[in-house]
Amino acid sequence: MRVEGEVELVVVGGGAAGLAAALKAREEGIEEIWVLDRNERPGGILPQCIHTGFGLHYFGENLTGPEYIHRFIRRAREEGITIKLETMVLRLTKEREVVAVNPSEGLLKLKAGAVILAMGCRERPRGSLLIPGGRPAGIFTAGTAQRLLDLEGYLPGREVVILGSGDVGLIMARRFAMEGVEVKAVVELMPYPGGLGRNVVQCLEDFGIPLLLRRTVTHIHGRERVEAVTVAEVDGEGNPIPGTERKIPCDTLVLSVGLIPENELSEGAGIELDERTGGPFVDEFMRTSLEGFFACGNVVTVFDLVDHVTLTGERAGKSASQYLKGELPPPRRVREVRPGENVRLVVPQRVSGEGPVTFYLRVSRPLREARVEVGGKSFFRKAVRPPEMLTVELGKEEVGGLGGEIPVRVLGKPLG
Amino acid sequence: MEVKELTCVICPLGCRAKVYVEGGRAVGWEHLECKAGEEYVKREVERPLRDFFTVVRVKGGGVLPVRSTGPIPKERLKEAVKELAAVEVEGPVRMGEVVVKNLLGLGVDVVATWELE
Amino acid sequence: MKVEEFEERVKGDPSFSRVSLRISLEGEILFLEGETESWEQVVELGHLAAGVEGVRGIVNRLWPRGLPKPERKREGKGKAAWDGMRADVVVVGAGIVGAGIARELSRYELEVVLVEKEEDVAWGQSKGGASWIHGFAGLDVDPTSLKAKLCVEGNALYDEWAEELDFSFKRPGLLAVVMEEELVPLLEVAAERVREHGCPVRVIGREELHRMEPGLPPEAAGALFFPTYGVVAPYEVTIALVENAVANGVKLLLGTEVIGVRVEEGRVKGVITDRGEIFTSFLVNAAGLYSDEVAELAGAPEFTIHPRKGEMLLIDWKRAGACLHNLAPGELKEDPYTKGGGISLTVDGNMLWGPTAQEVPYKEDTETTKEGMERVWRKFSKYLPSIKRTDVITAFAGVRAATYTEDFHIAPSRKVKGLVNVGGIQSPGITAAPAIARMVVDILRKEGLELREKVSFNPRRRAAPRFRELGDREREQLISLDRRYGRVVCRCEHVTEGEVVEAIRRGATTLDGIKFRTRAGMGRCQGGFCTPHLLRILSRELGRPVEELTKKGGKSRVVMGRIKEPFLGG
Repeated sequence: MRVEGEVELVVVGGGAAGLAAALKAREEGIEEIWVLDRNERPGGILPQCIHTGFGLHYFGENLTGPEYIHRFIRRAREEGITIKLETMVLRLTKEREVVAVNPSEGLLKLKAGAVILAMGCRERPRGSLLIPGGRPAGIFTAGTAQRLLDLEGYLPGREVVILGSGDVGLIMARRFAMEGVEVKAVVELMPYPGGLGRNVVQCLEDFGIPLLLRRTVTHIHGRERVEAVTVAEVDGEGNPIPGTERKIPCDTLVLSVGLIPENELSEGAGIELDERTGGPFVDEFMRTSLEGFFACGNVVTVFDLVDHVTLTGERAGKSASQYLKGELPPPRRVREVRPGENVRLVVPQRVSGEGPVTFYLRVSRPLREARVEVGGKSFFRKAVRPPEMLTVELGKEEVGGLGGEIPVRVLGKPLG
Repeated sequence: MEVKELTCVICPLGCRAKVYVEGGRAVGWEHLECKAGEEYVKREVERPLRDFFTVVRVKGGGVLPVRSTGPIPKERLKEAVKELAAVEVEGPVRMGEVVVKNLLGLGVDVVATWELE
Repeated sequence: MKVEEFEERVKGDPSFSRVSLRISLEGEILFLEGETESWEQVVELGHLAAGVEGVRGIVNRLWPRGLPKPERKREGKGKAAWDGMRADVVVVGAGIVGAGIARELSRYELEVVLVEKEEDVAWGQSKGGASWIHGFAGLDVDPTSLKAKLCVEGNALYDEWAEELDFSFKRPGLLAVVMEEELVPLLEVAAERVREHGCPVRVIGREELHRMEPGLPPEAAGALFFPTYGVVAPYEVTIALVENAVANGVKLLLGTEVIGVRVEEGRVKGVITDRGEIFTSFLVNAAGLYSDEVAELAGAPEFTIHPRKGEMLLIDWKRAGACLHNLAPGELKEDPYTKGGGISLTVDGNMLWGPTAQEVPYKEDTETTKEGMERVWRKFSKYLPSIKRTDVITAFAGVRAATYTEDFHIAPSRKVKGLVNVGGIQSPGITAAPAIARMVVDILRKEGLELREKVSFNPRRRAAPRFRELGDREREQLISLDRRYGRVVCRCEHVTEGEVVEAIRRGATTLDGIKFRTRAGMGRCQGGFCTPHLLRILSRELGRPVEELTKKGGKSRVVMGRIKEPFLGG
C-alpha cells in the first residue's frame, strides 16, 4: 500500500459540494488539497442533469447542470487542486486515516489534517419500497434512467410510467417526452406533487403527461421485461384502496421516490447521524460530531437547489481551513436546534453561536401566509411547500442571545 | 372568448388562475394574487417560451449535451428535438461551441454545454 | 388407507361435493384426474392421496374449473446446434442437484452433457440467497424418510465440498428460540427427538441464550442450539460445481430446453431439445420444478410437482452484527403460511428472513405479494427488534418443487430404462445435494452405466477473487497484477471491474449472471449505480451491443435502443 503520509485536506466526493469546498479552502490558503472521486469524471450528478435552472442564485444566470459544474471543474484545474478520479474511498477512521483505491495507483492510505465529507446522496431503489410483483428488467431509478439516456445515449424504455413526482422524476418525464418516449403517467402517493410547481407545468403540463395524485403502484407485471403496472388510489394513510386498481401497460417503470444521503463512510468513522436528515449532525460551521470532519451538500441533507449545496460546500471549505490553521472557534456553548410544528428537518442541527447562521429547513406540508419561527424570531413567507427548502439567516448577535435550545416551527394556513 | 386554467410558477403559492383569452391575448383573469402572476399568465397565453436542451449523438458512440442560447416558443420544442436528432458531432468540441446555427430560424443557436475531446 | 377408502373419503366429504375425481393406479403410481373448485382442493386431494398404502408417487392432474392452464411456451430456437451430439449421460437441469450429479459423474470416463433451459446456471430454485445446511430434516419429518437420511449424509459432506470447490461455507449453528417461558420445559423433549435423527443439539437457558445472541428481545426464554447448522449461497455452490464439472470435461448447454425424449423399446435413446437431438442411453431428470414434465415427455410420469412459493426479505449487511446465529422460531402454533423459515445469516453478512410457504398453481409465479412480505416482517421482526424497515434492501420470491408425497423422489423409472428421476427436491435439498449426487451415480451404476475412474479428474476449483473480502496486502497484489481490480464499479458491495471481467470469463452473459457471481447490484442501491458500468463492460467483453444485453436472458433487454432512434425510424 502506498502510504502518502499527511495530506492537509482530503475532500471525499468531487461533485458540487466537494469542488466548492476545495476551491474555498484554496482561497483560504490551504496548499495541499486532494479531492477523491469515485466516478470517471468529476462533477457528481450534474454532468447528466442537462436541463436548465441551475445557478440562478449563485451565479445569477440560468445554466444547465453540465455548464454549472464545468465552471467549478475548470477553476479547480486552474487552481491546481488534485482531483483523483475513479478513486473509491474504502474506509475512514476517526484518526482521519483515509484508505482509498484506484486503478492507476492501487491502494492509497492517507492521514488527513481535515476531512470534508461530500459524498452526496443515492436514490431509494425499488426493493426498499417492497412493491409487489415480478422482478423483470425495465425498472430504473430516475437517476439511472437519466444516466443511460443523457450520458450514455440509450433509451431505457419506450413506454414509461414514473412513480414519484419529485423533481428528478418530473425532469425525466420531460426528457423522455422530448426524446420520443411515451410517458403514460406520473404517479404520486401524496395529494400534491413532490417537485417544484415550475417543473409540474413545464415537464408535465407542457407535454400532456397525466399526474395521478393520491395513487401508487401496487403491482409490477412481467417476468422478463416490465409489461404493465397496476396503479391504485390510496387512503389517508397511503394504503391502496381495493377496487380502484387500474392496469397501465408499459415497458418501463421509473422510480423517483426519494434520495438518501450516502453516509456509510461517515457511519464507519463513528460520526453521529441525524435520523431526520439521514446525514451527520452539523453545526453552523458544517462541523460534524467528530473532530476534523466537516460535511456539506447532499450528504448532510438532500437540498433542493445546487446553489445551496455549493454554499454549504464553501462553508465547510472555509471551516476546515480555519480548523487547519487553528482559527476555528471551538464549540463552546452548543445549542440544539429543535424541529417543531410543520418542520420535517433543519440544518444545522447544532449551533455554537460563534458566527451568523444560515438555517435550511423543510416543511412537512404546504402552507400559505406562513410564519417561520426560529428561536423566537419570526420570518414571513407568502407560501411554503415541502419540495422547496426554506432558508433563514440569523446574525451572530441574534444567535448569541438564544437560550439552551433553539425551537423551529412554521405556522400558517393550509395550502391546497 | 376562451377560458384557460394556468398554474402560476412565479412563487411557491402556485396560484391556479382562470384566464380569459381572446384573439390569442389574455384579456382577464381570476385567482391570481400578485402583479408578477398577472405578467406571467399574459406571457404564457401570448407567447410561452421555454429553454431548449437535449443531447446530440457523437460519431463513434456517446452523446454530447447541448442547449439553445435563448428560450424558444413552447410549441416548437418537439420540432427542435427532431431537428437535432439528425445532428452528429465529432470531437473536439469546446464548451459553448455552436452546434446548430439559428435553430429553426428562431434567431437562437444551439451550443455545446460540455466539452468533447 | 386403500385406494377404495380414499375414494370413499372424498365422496363422503361435503366440501368435495363439487369435485369430479377419477382415480387410477398404475403400478405404484396413483393418478388423479378431474376438476375441483379451487387450487387448495387440488393440493389437499393430492396430499390425501399420498396417504394411500404402497403408493410411490402421485400424478395429480386435477385442475380447478375456470382457472387458465399454464401456458408452456416453447419457442423453437430454430438452430439445431446440438443435433447429433452423443453423450453417455444427459443431465437435465443445472441447479445445485443437476450440477452436483454432473460433477460427480465427471470423476469417470464418460461423456456427460448438462442441459439447462435458462441462459445461466442456478436460475431455478437454486437462485436463493441463502440456505441452511440443515442438521436434520425437521421434527415433523419421518426420520426414516429419504430426505431425512440424505439430509444428515449431505450435511456431513459439505465440509469436503466447500474445501474442494472453494465456496463460502460457515457453520454458525442454529438457535430455535422460544419466546414463552412455559415452552422452556418442552425443549428437552424436543431435543430427545432431534437426537433420534442423528443431529447434535443442546438446550440453552435464558442467560446463555442472551449471551449467545444479544440482539434477542427480553422475552426470549430459551432455545435449542444445533451446532452443525451451516449456511451457503446455493447459487455460489451451483456455479462452483458447474465450473468444476466443466473443467473435468462436462459439456454445459445453456439456453437449451428439453422438448422430448426419444424412447425406443422401453429404453432412453435420445433427448430432444429445442436446439437439436442428443443421442444418449441415460437421462438424469433433475429439472426441478419441471421434473414432472420431463418424466411426462419420456412417457413415464411418476409424480406431479405442486409449486410452493416462498417470499423472503433481504436485510442490509450494515446490520450484520445484529444477529450471530441462524434463528428459527420455536412456536407452538405455527402460521401455516410461514411454516418453517427463519432468520438466515448469509455468507455475505446480509440476513434473509423467511420464506413463506404458499401453494400456488403456477410454477412461474415468482411474484412477491404485499401479504407475504408483511407476514415475513411480522413474524421475524419480533426476534430482532433493532432491525428497522429501512434496513430491508429488497424482497424476492422463489418456488419450491414439492411432490405430494413431500419426500424426495429419487429412483430409476420402472417404465423407461435409462431414465433416472430426481424430483421433489425441496428443503433440505441444498443440504442433501452432495448425498443426492452420490446416490444418483450409484443408481446409474446399477442401471448398467459403466463407470471407470478418470485419472485426470481434478476435484478442485478455485473461486474468483473477491476484492471486498481481501486484506489490504492481497488487494495490493491483485491490483499490481491487473489494474482493473482497482476500479470499483459497484459502490455498495465494493465490486471491482476485475471481478466483473472474471465473472464474464467464467460464463456470465447477463446482468444477473454478473450479480450472482460478484454481488454487483445486490447491495442497497440495487444496481442503480453499477448497471451502466456493467452494461459497458459486458458489451466490451462479449463484443455485443448494449441494446442486445439482457438482465436474465430471453426478452429481458435492459435498454430499448439508442437515443434518437424514435426520430430516425429506429
